[in-house]
Amino acid sequence: MSLPSQVGLSLARRGGLERVTGACLFGVDLAQPGDLHLFALRAGSGPARIQRLDLAAARAYPGVVAVFTAADIPGINRVGIIAKVKDQPILAEGQTRYPGDAVALIAAESLTAARAAARLARLELEPLPAVSDPRQALLPGAPKVGEAGNLLWEARVRKGDPDGALARAAVVVTNTYTTSKAEHAAIEPEGGRAWWQDGLVVVRASTQNPHHDRHDLARLLGLPEEGVRVIQAETGGGFGGKLDLGLQGFLALAAWHLKRPVVMTYTREESLAATAKRHGLVMEYTSAADEQGRLLLCQAEIFGDSGVYASYGPAVCVRAAVHASGPYRVPHVEAHSRLVYTNNAWCGAMRGFGVPQVALAHEGQMDELAQRLGLDPLEMRIINALRPGDETATGQRLGRSAGLVQCLEALRPHYGQWRREAARSEGQYLRGVGLGAMFYGIGNTAMSNPASARLEMDAEGRLCLFTGAAELGQGSDTVLCQIAAETLGWPAQDVRLVRGDTARTLNAGATSASRQTFISGNAVQLAAQGLRGLLLEQAAALLGAPPQDIALDHGGARAAGKGLPLADLLRGLQERGVVVQAVGDYDPPTTPLDPASGQGVPYPTYAFAAQAALVEVDADSGLTRVPQVAAAHDVGRAMNPRAVEAQIKGGVVMGLGYALMEEYTPRCSNLHQYHIPTIADAPRIVPIIVESDDEAGPFGAKGVGEPALIPTAPAVAGGLAQALGRRLFDQPFSLERIMAALMEGRKTERQKDEAGS
Amino acid sequence: MKRAIEFRLNGQAVHVEARGGQTLLELLRQELGLNGVKEGCGAGECGACTVIVDGQALTSCIFPALEVEGASVTTIEGLAAPDGTLHPVQEAFVRNGAVQCGFCTPGQILSAKALLDLNPHPSEEQIRTALEGNLCRCTGYQQIIEAVKAAAEDQP
Repeated sequence: MSLPSQVGLSLARRGGLERVTGACLFGVDLAQPGDLHLFALRAGSGPARIQRLDLAAARAYPGVVAVFTAADIPGINRVGIIAKVKDQPILAEGQTRYPGDAVALIAAESLTAARAAARLARLELEPLPAVSDPRQALLPGAPKVGEAGNLLWEARVRKGDPDGALARAAVVVTNTYTTSKAEHAAIEPEGGRAWWQDGLVVVRASTQNPHHDRHDLARLLGLPEEGVRVIQAETGGGFGGKLDLGLQGFLALAAWHLKRPVVMTYTREESLAATAKRHGLVMEYTSAADEQGRLLLCQAEIFGDSGVYASYGPAVCVRAAVHASGPYRVPHVEAHSRLVYTNNAWCGAMRGFGVPQVALAHEGQMDELAQRLGLDPLEMRIINALRPGDETATGQRLGRSAGLVQCLEALRPHYGQWRREAARSEGQYLRGVGLGAMFYGIGNTAMSNPASARLEMDAEGRLCLFTGAAELGQGSDTVLCQIAAETLGWPAQDVRLVRGDTARTLNAGATSASRQTFISGNAVQLAAQGLRGLLLEQAAALLGAPPQDIALDHGGARAAGKGLPLADLLRGLQERGVVVQAVGDYDPPTTPLDPASGQGVPYPTYAFAAQAALVEVDADSGLTRVPQVAAAHDVGRAMNPRAVEAQIKGGVVMGLGYALMEEYTPRCSNLHQYHIPTIADAPRIVPIIVESDDEAGPFGAKGVGEPALIPTAPAVAGGLAQALGRRLFDQPFSLERIMAALMEGRKTERQKDEAGS
Repeated sequence: MKRAIEFRLNGQAVHVEARGGQTLLELLRQELGLNGVKEGCGAGECGACTVIVDGQALTSCIFPALEVEGASVTTIEGLAAPDGTLHPVQEAFVRNGAVQCGFCTPGQILSAKALLDLNPHPSEEQIRTALEGNLCRCTGYQQIIEAVKAAAEDQP
């Protein structure tokens, strides 16, 4: 009768069966016969003034039903995920800022007709002065890209006495690190369908944030929020790329005007050319330590290109500053982070929000300091790791859930063995073993970011969870049902789920910032406790026992030797007219950061992680392989260990791509130019789950989605530095850069030989 | 322009009109209503559109529809038994957690099936080679390798 604990159980993911049979319909699979097809005419160049846009021939093309421009937008033609900087028109107004801007939207009976009509549009553009270098964008007289100036955002963290610390240091290391722009490359491109139903615009599309979509779509159409319904389609991966709203705007606009069903899918080319990228950052770091290897100082000047729009840039800018000194005790910190508008491809959220970038820098600095001090990089990290009760760079006191030391210790056997193997390597293959460590604040930075959830039980005792939390493949559907089930004593498999529909579910906020297990998980737990309270109250009345003495689960209630079947309990509630449902609301406790010093409590808790990577370079060809990675993650408590391991493995491989190959340029028109790892690149990964039982997490859980990726590239960088005998400071560590380092190494050796002879 | 073609689709004879320049992916999704075959790139790079044609896994987004004349085509919809019993590869993908977002899954499963039909007990290297054209952005691939190995072990 008694159930095993429903959390900590590796249940198979919900929706797995539909996905292996092909029955699952994603955002790109929703077209029905008779639907209109949408196609966006993109500028193809920019910045430019639109001299002429003649759409008469396009409108007259057979099968074309309508062609829309910015003038057809009834509300505010500005979208953006950050309320303070909604700066992106979905259709250009008089000028384009970069080639990916859309200038017109064509609706036709077939996609072929829509595309053919687009070719008949006469678009005359007069080039405007462009700025592509973010440093130049800040100079007086630079072309103005941002509507309120080119400095998009700025953040500072200042703690202790950085200048004094520098004077006292035994070792000081100064380096500049750069990172590339990267593409999310979810295998499902953006796609969806919209229609008009009962006076509402209904949009069903791939998205990470249905309730935010509704807000921006209502604004775009000049409707109240109740005039728009957004349903999350089954979404084929997101990684931050489906937080922005482009396609949904086109769908809603056309459905609102035409009152007919419309569908739209981005091609891969369009997805690459017109959606957000990960920010490339330039990071100038000065780090210092004392003779024992204790960190004294981290000074970081972080500068990045946001491209033409803000998107999630402000969040990336602040998070980069807050995480700049890494998961370490650093008494003196000075971090300054800025993002700037340019006419380049725009950047937004991508798995990690600026932390994968700064981790390359703070981990590079750790390795360099360790080398200067003659310390092992693992010992250097253990000496400095943040521990329970320590204070972060923003002055936040950590609780008990800070398991970085356990993560590092868990790597030790792998790290030691690979180090010994690498030391024995000779001949053609150069080997090295690197380490990466990180911390990552769960949820949005220093702001309210609540989630709500609702649970309902019908007369037969069937439990249904209603959540707005978008499932992208990471497993929130499964985990949230496990949390509800565990709280109530129900089998998780029996919990029904309604998810991601603004007409039926409450706002859970974005699936981003590794926040849904923690934040929606808490909301679900609160809802389940509320529902349990209703059941217990009824049971108490019927059993004549106080609620605290009653055992309750899916079988019914028991107290003092008396049992009450669930059906009787529910009948009793029904007779009293009680609807068996409860809502849970949870907003993580945070405080705003002081604008000058960045001091405050930006997050309720932090995930910690450390990874070790074995790296192998072919000295002749420069070809680089990462055959093994060990990845230890403090997740608080694993709600579903297999799902956690799946996140870790997927993150490691995405991190490996970031380390070795991923670099977006406007030339990347498809996946043969923008490379992501294949199965042949995938290392053997040893996932290690560390549990530290977070005080505020549901059943002690934190989050793992983004942390999974963050330490990998730093670990690869460290392994490469060892293999090559020199550090690469510019990511990705591409074949060209590795070859250059090999050549440089040979030149140095020759010079040494010549000098010696 | 249009030509009537005949081929076997998931074991059933199919007569359909195909256009010159039409891809097999378009034929399957638009004319025959099979949405399990996915388009991820339209350029033969990602493998989401993989189907099996005469035993060979190939990318249907760059394969001319007219060329399936007389061939035998298997899509993800044709793998489970009519009573819904999963094919061993499908079963292994579910059991081994090889499915996350699931968008690449039909293509992965079909590449794996084509491999196992030819080579029932492949080595890990052979699995990696056979699935190299199927990109996955979620799983890190390890669970996919484990699933294919498990499906191979289930075979006689």
